[in-house]
Amino acid sequence: MMEANVEAVKNGGRALPSDLQQTVVVAKYDIMKYLRSRRLLGILIIEALVLVLITALVGTSERPHTVDGVIEQYVGFVSILIVLGATLFGGDAIVSEYQSRTGFLLFPNPVRKSSILAGKFASSVGAMGLVLVTYYAVAIAAGLVMGDGGLSDRVFASLGLSLLYGISAMAVAFLISSIMKGSTGALILTFALFFLILNIITSLIGQLGGTKPWFMIDFAGGTLSYIMSDPYPVDTTMSFEIAPGQSFTTYLFYPEVYLSIGVMVAYAVAAMVLAYIFFRRREMAA
Amino acid sequence: MTEPIVINKLTKDFGGFMAVDDLSLTVPRRSFMGFLGPNGAGKTTTIKILTNMLSASSGEAYLNGVDVTKDPKAALANVGAVVETPEFYPFLTPRETLSYLGELRGMSRQDIERRGREVLETVKMTDWADKRIGKFSKGMKQRVAIAQAILHEPSVIILDEPTSGLDPRGMVEVREILTELKRADYTVFMSSHLLNEVQEVCTDVVLIDHGKLLRSGSVASLVGQASVRRIEVAVLQKVSGELLNKVSKLDGVTELRAAGENQFMFSLKGGVEAQSKALMDLQSIGLNVVSYKESGLALESLYMSLIKDSR
Ligand SMILES: Nc1ncnc2c1ncn2[C@@H]1O[C@H](COP(=O)(O)OP(=O)(O)OP(=O)(O)O)[C@@H](O)[C@H]1O
Ligand SMILES: [Mg+2]
Repeated sequence: MMEANVEAVKNGGRALPSDLQQTVVVAKYDIMKYLRSRRLLGILIIEALVLVLITALVGTSERPHTVDGVIEQYVGFVSILIVLGATLFGGDAIVSEYQSRTGFLLFPNPVRKSSILAGKFASSVGAMGLVLVTYYAVAIAAGLVMGDGGLSDRVFASLGLSLLYGISAMAVAFLISSIMKGSTGALILTFALFFLILNIITSLIGQLGGTKPWFMIDFAGGTLSYIMSDPYPVDTTMSFEIAPGQSFTTYLFYPEVYLSIGVMVAYAVAAMVLAYIFFRRREMAA
Repeated sequence: MTEPIVINKLTKDFGGFMAVDDLSLTVPRRSFMGFLGPNGAGKTTTIKILTNMLSASSGEAYLNGVDVTKDPKAALANVGAVVETPEFYPFLTPRETLSYLGELRGMSRQDIERRGREVLETVKMTDWADKRIGKFSKGMKQRVAIAQAILHEPSVIILDEPTSGLDPRGMVEVREILTELKRADYTVFMSSHLLNEVQEVCTDVVLIDHGKLLRSGSVASLVGQASVRRIEVAVLQKVSGELLNKVSKLDGVTELRAAGENQFMFSLKGGVEAQSKALMDLQSIGLNVVSYKESGLALESLYMSLIKDSR
């Protein structure tokens, strides 16, 4: 036991922080990355421009508005904000440690990969949350100024759903980030996935295939805007006669709120578990 | 008593290519172990396994008695490392980087503040302490890398070519830091291609090639064992074919070649006695010897002969 004593003295008698404490440390310094990088600033500038634009459009339109009606105009842009947030705050969160070689500095420390992953995820979700909450705050303020009547709970439900969609999209971005070899590829794939690929798949399954795509993450995320409509829209089928004897049927499906919450939670959990497995096994090559 | 680094039958298989092949070695406490081998020998791969950046295909690697392949957090608790030239988070300053790593290692704020100042002083980066690292040169980053490795006064320090990328003055400074570490009773495991550096600061060396152990031991004993030395001779006479012919017939002389107007060099088998005898032999065949010296370092000669055998 002499040996142990000598070592304790050597290390200044320090005990290692718990996994959770280290997670907080990782998150803290990762948040600093966003505060100092142009990404958070960039997304906030885009957000500000969009807010100004929508405010100008709503403000100059003649029709009378309710508070919710005004806010609904703003909510239309939220899913694009989430795509941008997931891309910029999640797309290269893991891969950059490998590609830009900062992993050589971080990984030899006595800290578990799970703490690193959790800390980074917390900070990315925090940045996303900041973007969304600011956006809704401005939208609500605009609604109260320009609209008539009161603020309904639907607005807060929409905010809640947007945060949940933000978290699950971020988890998918982290999964991409833990698999992809290059940062740029990871960023592009994350953006393309949420902006394009998922939408195409979802409409192939739904509008054309006639199967309700309740299990698709972007479909579930749609709840954040549909929740603003009163009453909540219901599934419909539309048939068009395109030529005599030939008709074309399209389906309009709407996500159910509680099922969609479950789907988004499932995506978030599954993606983060997979991201952890890939991250843990991933080697610091070159 | 557990030794600070124990590597046991360690193997790393990169899809059929054995970068580390059944390697076993022990770094004794308070030793300063040089880790040598030609390019591609497997040094960095071994060090990456020790520092939790690569998984091992088989075998174990213990740091302070804990297998890093099983419990990296506990194994690395008391270790500082510089692996290759790491990159830093460009948005942080050296001081903030040290705070980040110090907090991860469980240092208190005062501790980080005090040690941070000390180690930045040690690597002569005090003036840069509050500048973002983003635009630092390679050598400046290497200095910060060394600073973070010793920040928490770990009992074990693992360095992969710590002087690579440094200017000549930087190399001398790092060598001074290393010498200081030696005095301060750290255990250091350091890969390097600079044999003079190794001979100067290391107490022990281990030499590997093709991922396999070739030789290990104390620097003193290995240097003593060097069986072939390279000798450089300058004479008053012009070095002619006839002269070289005579020299080549002397005892133990091989690989003789001219090295300029009045110089030649050769390899000599045997120890110091043979070296002294060869000088008398040269004089006895009528040469006016101006200078007579062993070329390069004893360690270098040993390295060369061992590597040649393993090729
Ligand atoms: N990720 C990898 N995948 C495949 N082969 C690899 C990988 N990393 C290293 N190698 C191979 O393993 C061998 C050992 O490489 P390593 O970097 O350990 O050598 P080294 O002794 O550090 O060499 P150097 O002195 O040049 O730094 C090399 O042949 C290298 O090509
Ligand atoms: Mg190397």
